[in-house]
Amino acid sequence: MSAPAALRNPVTVVRPTRATVLGGLLGGAATTSGIALTATSGWLVVRASERPVILTLLAAIVAVRAFGMARPYFRYLERLVSHDAALAELADRRVAVFSALVPLTPARLGRRSRSAVLTGVVEDLTDVVEAQVRVTVPLVSGALAGLGAAALTAWFAPTLGLVVAALLVVLALGCVVAWHAESTSRDALLAARAEVARVGDLVARQAGELKAIGAERDALRALGAAHATWRAAVARQSRGRALVAALLPLGTAAATVAAALLVDPATVGAPVAALLVLVPVAVGEALAPLVDTMRALARAQGSSARLTALLDQEPAVHDPAGPTTSSAQHPEHVDGCSEPRATGGAPVVRLEAVTASWTGERTALAPTDLALRPDRHVAVVGPNGSGKSTLLAVLARALDVTGGRHTRDGVDVRGLPLATARADIAVVDDEPHVFAGSLAANLRLARPDADDDALRHALALAGLGPWLTELPDGLDTRLGTGGRGVSGGERTRLGIARAVLAERAVVLLDEPTAHLDDATATAVLDDVLGATRERAVVLVSHRPEALNRFDHVLDLGAHPSSRPDQE
Amino acid sequence: MRPFDPRLLAVAPAARRPVVAVAVVGVLQGLATVATAFALAALVVAVVDGTPVGAPAGWLVALLGTRSALGWAAERSAARAGVEVTAALRRALLEHWLRVPAERRPDPDRGATLAGQGVATVEPYAARFLPALVAGAVVPVLALGALVWVDPVSALVVALTLPLLPAFAALIGAATRDETQRRWRALSSLAGHFTDVVRGLPTLVGYGRAERQVEVVAEVSGAHRRATMRTLRLAFLSSAALELLASISVAIVAVTVGLRLTHGTLDLGTGLLAILLAPEAYWPIRRVGAEFHAAADGAEAVADALDELAAGPAGRTTPAGTPAAEALGVRLRGVHYSYPGASIPVLRGLDLDAGPGLTVLTGPSGAGKSTVLELAAGLRTPSAGTVTAGHAHLVTQRPFLPAGTVRDALRLGNDAPDADLWAALRRVGLEGFVAALPAALDTPLGDEGVGFSAGQRARVALARATLSTAPVLLVDEPTAHLDGPGAEIVHELLSELAERRAVLVVTHRPELVARAHRHVGLEPRAVGATA
Repeated sequence: MSAPAALRNPVTVVRPTRATVLGGLLGGAATTSGIALTATSGWLVVRASERPVILTLLAAIVAVRAFGMARPYFRYLERLVSHDAALAELADRRVAVFSALVPLTPARLGRRSRSAVLTGVVEDLTDVVEAQVRVTVPLVSGALAGLGAAALTAWFAPTLGLVVAALLVVLALGCVVAWHAESTSRDALLAARAEVARVGDLVARQAGELKAIGAERDALRALGAAHATWRAAVARQSRGRALVAALLPLGTAAATVAAALLVDPATVGAPVAALLVLVPVAVGEALAPLVDTMRALARAQGSSARLTALLDQEPAVHDPAGPTTSSAQHPEHVDGCSEPRATGGAPVVRLEAVTASWTGERTALAPTDLALRPDRHVAVVGPNGSGKSTLLAVLARALDVTGGRHTRDGVDVRGLPLATARADIAVVDDEPHVFAGSLAANLRLARPDADDDALRHALALAGLGPWLTELPDGLDTRLGTGGRGVSGGERTRLGIARAVLAERAVVLLDEPTAHLDDATATAVLDDVLGATRERAVVLVSHRPEALNRFDHVLDLGAHPSSRPDQE
Repeated sequence: MRPFDPRLLAVAPAARRPVVAVAVVGVLQGLATVATAFALAALVVAVVDGTPVGAPAGWLVALLGTRSALGWAAERSAARAGVEVTAALRRALLEHWLRVPAERRPDPDRGATLAGQGVATVEPYAARFLPALVAGAVVPVLALGALVWVDPVSALVVALTLPLLPAFAALIGAATRDETQRRWRALSSLAGHFTDVVRGLPTLVGYGRAERQVEVVAEVSGAHRRATMRTLRLAFLSSAALELLASISVAIVAVTVGLRLTHGTLDLGTGLLAILLAPEAYWPIRRVGAEFHAAADGAEAVADALDELAAGPAGRTTPAGTPAAEALGVRLRGVHYSYPGASIPVLRGLDLDAGPGLTVLTGPSGAGKSTVLELAAGLRTPSAGTVTAGHAHLVTQRPFLPAGTVRDALRLGNDAPDADLWAALRRVGLEGFVAALPAALDTPLGDEGVGFSAGQRARVALARATLSTAPVLLVDEPTAHLDGPGAEIVHELLSELAERRAVLVVTHRPELVARAHRHVGLEPRAVGATA
């Protein structure tokens, strides 16, 4: 395993390895066989037309057949070797990228739609690794076959070797143009695609709301505008591709005519002359696909840049225990608590004039005070941008404070190892992830030693009792990708069941009902408050209804000093 | 799965021209390819015979020049077809969903996935697979036709071996189908594992399980590599077998040509032409196969979208309200409504009249108040009974505000000038607040701009409603998020609007009930009573 090497930079685009070079050599043999097949066929036919004794043709006949069979054979070997190399590479880099993501989770993954960011990471990594097969291998094999063809023609007739070499230069130029066109058009195209996806998603999801206010025309106009931008970006990209597609036949034409004019059948013989005239066409056709590899290269470079930008970030929280040992440690209570714990071992969490920032530049949470005692239920409300999610991130130890004091039982949390600080806290966000696997496995990740009764109890508390009895295989029912679908309300309740099962003393809920309809939202909220009666709860909500059911309402918008700095 | 469904061109007329352009360019490229073989053969014969190369070289340059132009056109038309087919299909889907009532829309997640990732896979299908399909259909036929004309013997060899390719592919496919499917299933679950754990990373980190997953990722990636290689070996082997078959066929043509040349039964030009044309008959077929695997998702998305568009009789797309679009009011007669999939109806035989003036609708949670508004707005169709309503504007409990500026939010559904926007804001008591924003109407809303509270959002939605010209205004709990003075402004506004329009409001505020001309009380799952 070359994991240590991969760890150094998991996102380098092209890094030839022994396997990819071997793949390139095999690919070169396959491409050369293809060129040789055309050339020797030409030689055979011309030599045959001179009506020699059949025996003298035998060698050529054998050669034609051998090249015909060698091409698929070498191509098969090349594909096996290069794909295996790519998959090995993918395995190494996945481990490296996953490890690199852990300390950045969740605060450095963007504040919205983290699962989309994470899906993007998986796709970008695949692009980068695919470039190994789709760039390195064809480049090596193309260079090998092209130079081989040039050398062979030069051996028969040096001037024709130069002609083939000139054709190779044209091909290389085509590659450069293709790469440049792809690289320069890629960003605009991706942005245009993203905008089309955003508008399409919005209209698909909000069709009813848009119809309610008679905004169908506006919606379709917005879609039309997004499509127009996208159309322009694709047109720009296709101009580059079309330029290259037009360049290659012209290069082949020039090289073939030059070969026909320069070759002298009297010195090399008619059959070889035919062979030499056919070589440029064969080279042009065999190497034209190289241009496509430049698309893969440009794409992988874009993906690599995005991955690097994401993975190069500093973690948003400092871990005094060091990043490598943090989760290996078992959470223990730190000695020297100055404020004794109340019932149930739940910590007393205090924020005093705490401020926080995601970027370090713009303050996302203005000075805020909060005292969180066990069994206290706090609702956090306020307009968008007032710092609700930021406050929750601070409480979850996902984000360090930039000012003020954040203490746990009187101890500054920055002194606690992250694993310890997080061990008391469960976070239920607006899109709890359901893993592909059994229901039991989905719950046990919160507490691996829980028995089935504990799982059932947690599900019942989260309001999933009736749902469980309807499941065909009970706790063994497979959920997630490839398994049973889970509705938005069930998903949120599963998140709550995890929190209850893990016996976390503090439960933080970030808009758990944001994607639910009103009736479901009310029912889920009932179950949340019921299931967490003995715990400290902080709930961020856009819905001001049912606020009377909380012990305390923290309105971040009411506080004049808590308005975020506007730029 | 169908490689090409002609219904696509019927539902997406904008896709017709680009698809035809791709087909025309594909046919011309096929003709040019075959013609190039003639010119190249003539050039080689001229070189070998020592005759002047001027004429064949001129032809070759002209033809390759044509291919250069066609190559340009092919790239451009393929890219355009990719965009136009995808855009037309997405637009058709979204137009359809904006037209039909809620019962006939898929659930939001499925709809968004189909219009998003689903339709996006149509682009490579249209831009890469369709041109390959045209080439696969045209070039072999042209090459074979040319061969029949110049050298029937070689044509016979090609005609006998060519059908072996699809036959062989089908045989290999049939022999390995079960094995391949079993492996693909195993493979997709292994391949999905990494995506799954990465997407669940926030949860894993939250419960301190992330670092333990590193080993699992390494293990599963290793298993994925081994399983993929087993599957790929089979796939590569079958494509190598097909390529071998094609290569051997070309070699047979070359060798028979060679033998006939030595016997003097064939001239050099014809022989050369035969060996140049023979490969052209084989490769496009293999390319269609290769591209089809890449475009299979796109073909599937096309089928899904077409099914979605074809679902239900077209006659029902008209919402119940439009026949009387000019009517000033809402009239429900014997209306039953059940949510799709629900066994108990939420409304049973409801009669309701809301003419000009202010009508309030009250009732406990779950009685179907919002459903009545959605029926009146034509967003839902009754299970039984009739709904007659004028063109309506509905302000829901969670009104939609787009990501954009305050002006964008207000002008959704109308083209009002700024003066009217300010007047509307004044009527809901937000004029001062918006005027004090850093860029007034141009201030962006949301994460990157100013945050609006739930009450402010409700008032923006009401301001937007005043800008609508619809004769019927439906409002769902307008003051749920407002305090006393705020609610008073809204109540005043609704009374004012009711002077010229039919206003139907769902509310629980006695102050508003007191202002109403009519009061309809809904009981939980019971027949409505008019008071």
